[in-house]
Amino acid sequence: MQRVKLLLPDPADRGSQRCRLGPGLMSALSLRLGSPLLVSVPGGSCLCTAWPRSDLAEGFLQMDLKCIAPTLISQPPVHLSLEPRHLTPVSCPKLRGVKVTVVVQSAGFRKHTPAWVVHELVKDMLKGVYVHKQYVVNMEDYDTEIRFVVIDGIRPDSDSAGMVTSKTAVEISGIQTLRHYKSQLLDQHTPPLGGLDEVSASLREMLQLPLMYPNTLSSLGVSCPRGVLLIGPPGVGKTLLVHKVVGEVGASLVVVRGPEVVGSRPGESEETLRAVFERARSAAEEGPCVLFLDELDSLFPRRTGSSAPENRLVAQLLTLMDGMNRSDRFLIVGATNRPDSLDPALRRPGRFDREVIIGAPTVQQRKAILTVLCERMPVCPRLNMTELAQITTGYVGADLSALCREAAMHALRQKVKGSGKQEVEMKHFLEALKSVHPSSLRSSLGRTELSSVLWEHIGGLDQVKVKLRQSIEWPMRYPEAFVRLGLSRPHGVLLYGPPGCAKTTLVKAAASFSHCAFLSVSGADLYSSYVGDSEKALALLFRQARSCAPCILFLDEIDSLIGSRSNNQTPNSVQTRLLSVLLNEMDGIGLRVLERRGTGKILQTEGVQETHTEELDSQEVCNKDVMVVAATNRPDCLDSALLRPGRLDHIIYVPPPDQQARVAILKACTRSMPVDPDVCLEELAAKTELYSGADLENLCKEAALLALLEENMEASSISHTHFLRSLSKMSPSLTAQQIQAYLSPSR
Amino acid sequence: MSEPLQEALRRSFVSLEKQREVWRSVLEECSPLMEALGNLAEQMSALTRVQLLDTPLRVFPQLEELLRVKLLQAADTVLQRLGENMCRLQSIRDSISSQASALLQQYQQSSVDLTMLTERSATVPSLADMLQWIQDAERFYRQQFLQRKALLQTLRPDQLLLLESAPKRWKSLESPSADQQITDSLCRLSLFIQPQ
Repeated sequence: MQRVKLLLPDPADRGSQRCRLGPGLMSALSLRLGSPLLVSVPGGSCLCTAWPRSDLAEGFLQMDLKCIAPTLISQPPVHLSLEPRHLTPVSCPKLRGVKVTVVVQSAGFRKHTPAWVVHELVKDMLKGVYVHKQYVVNMEDYDTEIRFVVIDGIRPDSDSAGMVTSKTAVEISGIQTLRHYKSQLLDQHTPPLGGLDEVSASLREMLQLPLMYPNTLSSLGVSCPRGVLLIGPPGVGKTLLVHKVVGEVGASLVVVRGPEVVGSRPGESEETLRAVFERARSAAEEGPCVLFLDELDSLFPRRTGSSAPENRLVAQLLTLMDGMNRSDRFLIVGATNRPDSLDPALRRPGRFDREVIIGAPTVQQRKAILTVLCERMPVCPRLNMTELAQITTGYVGADLSALCREAAMHALRQKVKGSGKQEVEMKHFLEALKSVHPSSLRSSLGRTELSSVLWEHIGGLDQVKVKLRQSIEWPMRYPEAFVRLGLSRPHGVLLYGPPGCAKTTLVKAAASFSHCAFLSVSGADLYSSYVGDSEKALALLFRQARSCAPCILFLDEIDSLIGSRSNNQTPNSVQTRLLSVLLNEMDGIGLRVLERRGTGKILQTEGVQETHTEELDSQEVCNKDVMVVAATNRPDCLDSALLRPGRLDHIIYVPPPDQQARVAILKACTRSMPVDPDVCLEELAAKTELYSGADLENLCKEAALLALLEENMEASSISHTHFLRSLSKMSPSLTAQQIQAYLSPSR
Repeated sequence: MSEPLQEALRRSFVSLEKQREVWRSVLEECSPLMEALGNLAEQMSALTRVQLLDTPLRVFPQLEELLRVKLLQAADTVLQRLGENMCRLQSIRDSISSQASALLQQYQQSSVDLTMLTERSATVPSLADMLQWIQDAERFYRQQFLQRKALLQTLRPDQLLLLESAPKRWKSLESPSADQQITDSLCRLSLFIQPQ
């Protein structure tokens, strides 16, 4: 049999429950006029009565959505083509009774209309309608306050469908408002949430407790918390969390959006706010309800001295929150990422009783988030989530979802090109990592693009390399070993040595190997003409670095950036102030509460036992701190407080290259140069005593330029004489005296 | 074509035409009553607004209460008369409903197949069309009655605004286009009905 095309219903058929078919199809399905028929469409099905089309055309189907599965309310079927097997005739005996829930438009109607009136109306409306168990009967065509009737059950329940007659008993089990019903429907299919289990459990508890044990609470004489403030950087899922929890509990949600509340006329904003609270109050009568104030800081900023309109709005919120009785059973949830700019009066028990801080996700949380995100994606089964979670430090939930999307797009592009299967693999994620950066670092002042440097690109310095790997790479790669031996990650590394000896390049190599965020800052970023601005910038830099820890913060030329307190002329210069900031940030008394990673520990009545597994501990090592790497060629200018263990604990001397190292450096420099076979790098190395790495690189460059000069741009290779001649023109940048100064323990 | 079913349909349409006339006349009786109700509501709201103590009428004791009782009584009488009219409307609706369902039942018990059902000629519309029209008419009257009933039953003396707007809403319930459709279908049936 041919497929039939689903068209929009005829307006004349509105409310008639008819399904218009071609007569041919009707007789093929052995349907008579008016016989009940179940039409299955993607997402649900619809019960209607068969009726021949008035133009008798075949191949089309129009149905009035009178009795439908609840999922079809929000997304009615359109532009579909159905097969005849989707149409099944059903037997609909006359029902003895139906049990229904009535969905009405307004809360006022629900409150004030006597039950018998509703009963009478519903009974009239249902008469002659074919109903199906668990389906919804649409009553919008009557244009009254009653919008839907949900069929909870039918009698006799041996059948799933039946016809309501005037003799059918109608029992109304409950009346809901449309808003509540729709929010319930919506909540049934929200995506799961990864890594926020603890917070959502505590929120859920707050919502459910007063509902489950109302008597216990009142006998204890306590009132349940009425307000929760969610604090966390943007993108960690504060808004999503609220929606999710509300959906799970089955509560209704009243959302306050900033621009909706703020009006132009004086007093308008306050009025809207009062109306919102009133709405929440009426919604709370039907069941648990959450009033959600998103972006709280923009709506209710700190009150200032002048009579700004915001002041009045804040005052109104305060009075409304205080005016909530115990009988108002709704929970106020606020979300903000700038808690400091909130009015302090809001943040006291009685208003926002609890403050839940959601930090940037830890490794475990990132893994959970990624697992959730990848659930619906065709991911390659070999994909290692743990590895992916490890290399995405500093990424919040929103970043991770952007990352997954980008990876999927890469996979899709490859598939379009014809190569590769429709699977998202690790390489796609790695590709996506290049374009998606953690949002916590987007506005950071020290964010640097690194060209990756391999350890092999740096000649010599093997000792230094090992030390650097110890302090930077190992804690990242082998956290379990660190936990086993009770080690903690070093706080800082100072590289010192004569100029031009690859200190900066070493740090670059370390950063590109350890997969952590890398921030580099110079004097130009920090210094400002305003007093206190530089210190603020440095503190902000540390805060950002901590938010995406593990992170390497590189301070090049630290001697000029940050002075010393001992030998300075001006005791209160910018440098000294910066130094004090740096000392505090590196080994201060503790972290600010707001910068907590993960979700922290939340008290719960359920009594979830904290289990300290080794996994968690090793995760802690990884997430703990920012590593400061500083480089200087004047270690004597540094303040001694900075050099003590606990701050810059590893002090590594980067020596000028010895002969072997110089050979290695020359090899590395000439790797991309066409050199004559007679060039003896060993001889050159022997002749370049006291030359630094930079000098050697310069030497190679000079030799190449010389070759070009002599052979008039047609040079194809560089000969040994070129090297020797350019060497004769150069002198080493280091002196023995200088090196001696570094080696002597004068500090 | 099936003769008994056709005959039944013809009878139903003839009676439908009569019922329509009655329905219309009842509604015409209702509209002045609704106006009266609106007036009473206006008077009641005026009564709540006015400060009787500031007027010369303050010499009459308990004037406000007395007036209110009087107004409420008047409203009650009007509502009672409206209720009587609603009963008449209900009986019309019930008779149309029973006719429509009886017709469908008759069809279901007969052995009319689809080709016979959809056969139409220049003078006689198909049985399916006629069944549809009678059902459409039935739905229209059911809907009209229900809306009016819901309107009247949700009126409360403490919500004067709602009461004041009642006549307007009552008027807006008339849906001329749906009514016109019934007229249209009856016109199309005129040749079919005429042999009577």
